[in-house]
Amino acid sequence: MPVFRWGESWEPLRDLERQVDRLLESLPFPFPVIRFERRFPPVNLYELDHEFLLTAELPGVSSENLELTLSGGILTLKGKRPAPAGIADDRFRRHERVWGAWERSLSVPERVLEDKVSAQFTDGILQIHLPKAPETKPRKIQVVQGNNS
Amino acid sequence: MSSERNGMSQIPVNIPPPPTEADAPAPPAGDRALFTPPIDIYESDEGLVLIADLPGVSVKTLELQVQNNKLTLLGRVANPAPANARLVHKEYEEGDLLRSFILSEDVDHERVTARLNDGVLEIFLPRAAKTTPRRIDVNTE
Repeated sequence: MPVFRWGESWEPLRDLERQVDRLLESLPFPFPVIRFERRFPPVNLYELDHEFLLTAELPGVSSENLELTLSGGILTLKGKRPAPAGIADDRFRRHERVWGAWERSLSVPERVLEDKVSAQFTDGILQIHLPKAPETKPRKIQVVQGNNS
Repeated sequence: MSSERNGMSQIPVNIPPPPTEADAPAPPAGDRALFTPPIDIYESDEGLVLIADLPGVSVKTLELQVQNNKLTLLGRVANPAPANARLVHKEYEEGDLLRSFILSEDVDHERVTARLNDGVLEIFLPRAAKTTPRRIDVNTE
């Protein structure tokens, strides 16, 4: 089972990590937390008439600790979730949250206007607006009768 | 000190035990799904600190209450997308976040404070004022 399962019929975003997942499939994976960290942050993707909306849960990541880049159709989210400062491990009574640096790359749909992409970050939720490019009209190709017969 | 005599000197005295999980209260009205947010609990010099990931929750949409000895946090998460948006890929569930805990007597319920930043809630559970250990003399008949 691939960890990433985009829609079967239509893949608006392609995850670069999927190939890696395929390689790891057959290997025993004793630490499920590693798998979890690899797909951090979890993202949801919505489609609207004029745009795609990508949302990601990033609680505890401040906008200074967040870096978004878009280049050649690859959207990269990179950031850091700081651990509580100066707390020794043996002081923890419960530890369910994940910390550390993370990075995730996704390839955006071709029909997106890359220079119009915008993002906002509120209360630990990142929203990336990916405006759709106008539908390209099919171009009619004139077939000219060749002279040589 | 008596704590050294019984070999317990390594264990800090009068540290409140971590809150234990309480049964979730009846889900509030509404058709939003409820999820359990992940938490950390660590011990500070003053008491315990509970940290919960509440992405999408703001000060306005957070209900935090201590009733009797039960601490309940309920964060309401607004849907990030307009109603006409179609969800085409899902990796996380969207819904409200609820978790509750039983506080021990060692936590000073009156002085519990909290702050919320970037979707992370920190709750400070100060240790109740130190009670003087009462020495019980055991006599033989």
